[in-house]
Amino acid sequence: MNRRKIGVYVCHCGGNISDYVDVEKVVDAVKDEEDVVVARTAMFTCSDATQQEIYDDIRELGLDGLVVASCSPKLHTFTFRGVAKRAGLNPFQYTQVNVREQCSWAHTDDRQGATEKALRLVRAGIARTRLLRPLEPTVVETVPKTLVIGAGIAGLRAAIGLADIGLSVVVVEREAEVGGWVKDFGPMYPRDKEGRELVRQLEAKVRQRENIALFTSAEVVRKAGSFGDYVVDIKTHGKSSMTMQIHVGSITVATGFDSYQPEEGEYGYGIDGVVTLPEYKKMLDAAEGSLEYHGRPVKDVAYIYCVGSRQGDDGPHQYCSRFCCSAAVHSALELYTRDPSARQFHLYRDMRTYGRYELMYRESREKGSTYLKFAEDEPPAVRKGADGRLVVTIRDQLTGQKEVEIPADLVVLVTGMVPRENDALVGALKLPVGRDGFFNEIHPKLRPVETVVDGVTICGACQFPKNASESVASGLAAVTQSAAMLKQGRAELDPQVASVDPQLCTDCGVCYATCPYDAISPQEGHEGRRVAVIDPATCKGCGGCAPVCPERAINLEGYTQAQIKAMIEGLAREVV
Amino acid sequence: MAVARPTFIDEVRQSEQFNAAACMNCGVCTAICPMGLEHLPREIFRYVVLGMEEEVLKEQETVFSCLLCKLCEENCPAGVHITENVRSLRHYFDRKAFRI
Ligand SMILES: Cc1cc2nc3c(=O)[nH]c(=O)nc-3n(C[C@H](O)[C@H](O)[C@H](O)COP(=O)(O)OP(=O)(O)OC[C@H]3O[C@@H](n4cnc5c(N)ncnc54)[C@H](O)[C@@H]3O)c2cc1C
Ligand code: SF4
Ligand code: SF4
Ligand code: SF4
Repeated sequence: MNRRKIGVYVCHCGGNISDYVDVEKVVDAVKDEEDVVVARTAMFTCSDATQQEIYDDIRELGLDGLVVASCSPKLHTFTFRGVAKRAGLNPFQYTQVNVREQCSWAHTDDRQGATEKALRLVRAGIARTRLLRPLEPTVVETVPKTLVIGAGIAGLRAAIGLADIGLSVVVVEREAEVGGWVKDFGPMYPRDKEGRELVRQLEAKVRQRENIALFTSAEVVRKAGSFGDYVVDIKTHGKSSMTMQIHVGSITVATGFDSYQPEEGEYGYGIDGVVTLPEYKKMLDAAEGSLEYHGRPVKDVAYIYCVGSRQGDDGPHQYCSRFCCSAAVHSALELYTRDPSARQFHLYRDMRTYGRYELMYRESREKGSTYLKFAEDEPPAVRKGADGRLVVTIRDQLTGQKEVEIPADLVVLVTGMVPRENDALVGALKLPVGRDGFFNEIHPKLRPVETVVDGVTICGACQFPKNASESVASGLAAVTQSAAMLKQGRAELDPQVASVDPQLCTDCGVCYATCPYDAISPQEGHEGRRVAVIDPATCKGCGGCAPVCPERAINLEGYTQAQIKAMIEGLAREVV
Repeated sequence: MAVARPTFIDEVRQSEQFNAAACMNCGVCTAICPMGLEHLPREIFRYVVLGMEEEVLKEQETVFSCLLCKLCEENCPAGVHITENVRSLRHYFDRKAFRI
């Protein structure tokens, strides 16, 4: 075999890596390995200066393989593929080795062990790189049309943006009406715009646009095809029930959230006069003049915050729902406009009226709202008093830990957001669901609306708790992302996918069911035999199928059987 | 257990200037007070807004020790009219405790 020319770059990451991994030692140990023609350390490998250095090495030394040992491949794979490409090296002849998350961050107590592990990983990386061959991305034609699922405020705004950028749009909404939660709201924070009115305006804009087709009382039942040309079955309910099939290039999911439903007895829920935030909002929006509840005037209102949110290490909802502090404070202000003499008590854990919403918090205090702070392990209790009114007890951390009883006509449980049950859709689209139950993006900062399924983006509160303006902002991000994918008319897919060697395949069938993306199917006609065939546009390169094949007929490009074997040898070699 | 009496604040309030509820409990005033008055003004204000009258009545000494120097008020990030509020409290004591 011809000798390879491999360059190895080991990163300090400032001190993130080099504080716990002796990077010089790693470079020393590999610089004389077979096929390695240059090995260096760098303070920040991703910096412009080091990128230039790698570029120069590729050109001057004629490198045909590149190994970067720095952070997670999630972060900089595209950075270094870019460097390779600019310098004329095929971007798939590069290997990322993760010596930060897997070595320095994981073994802060063991410098020697971390260094040895880093060396082994780098050797495995070199072994893999030795067997890499140049690859060209799979090019697919894209249909200039996007499917938006869910017509809440995020989905509606995304549909308008997509249409205005020149794409055709199909919107599918499960309910008979569009608008999601916002369609029923009166004034909303921060600018007191009416939710009803907002939705009316958005719906009018959607209906004006000829390149948007809106289906209500409809659902997505099946998705086939692959990025660029997804084939989707839509079913409409009701009188004119029918199923239709459409072709779209990409899909944007905007299916929203559910409100937390307290258990019977949770903070007195179930007692007459204890209501959730959405129930309270509805009462307020409907009230003219001062508030009444079941015919009785409401003078004293107690709010209990973080109900169904921030549930500690064991609860299913450990996150902060973000919108509820601001929505509750805004509701308090709404009550003051109806009845300036209302007395309002806010029992909270932490006030998170972030950014400019702080101004509402201040205004509410200036109008007389009183805030009491309770500890996580000593929540307030609600009961019915002797006079029939409600009584809330709290140990107030702001009043010398004194226990205080608050009389109330109404107790509002400030309920948070929970993920909406959507199993059928998750199954049809293979949507990635996070540990919190919301849909997951690839990276919260670097790729905030894309999912691991090519061409499928997420936006709005189905991703994590967001208020209306944040939902709309992410909807617009999904527009930009979809346009970037579809406006060129063609897309490049990662060629590191699996393929079946038809000579070896016996059509035993064990691989078909292993693929989570349904990429493998039997096909007739290989020398008169039926064999398994993998669609390169659908395959995600997860590798799940390769090890189950008893004939070793499946190879994953970039991680072939030979490469895996070579990597194991690299990992297992004596360190010395 | 203290029982909150939301109407009590109306008995103390002397003018529209009275804004004890605007306090956000940052503690700047307590830290800065040249008299080292421990419960003034933050905690007494809370007794007022929560309607804990007995607790307020225990603080007569403190309320009259305040110099009305306004050092706290100048530094309060929430715009609480601290000295005005203390005056309201003194009037309340005049009426309630001294009956003048
Ligand atoms: C009581 C309350 C008060 C609030 N007040 C404010 C406020 O004052 N200001 C503010 O900024 N925010 C406020 N919010 C938050 C605001 O409601 C959300 O930010 C917003 O609704 C998120 O929009 P969305 O489009 O992501 O989701 P949603 O509003 O939930 O819309 C999702 C849509 O998708 C549809 N859908 C779901 N699953 C499917 C499926 N499988 N197929 C087809 N369609 C589907 C749903 O029917 C729905 O129409 C409040 C929320 C609550 C609960
Ligand atoms: S926004 Fe406020 S009420 Fe909602 S979960 Fe966060 S801290 Fe609790
Ligand atoms: S590598 Fe993964 S995605 Fe590709 S065919 Fe095999 S199982 Fe399916
Ligand atoms: S400085 Fe102002 S806001 Fe801070 S505790 Fe004192 S009165 Fe309250």
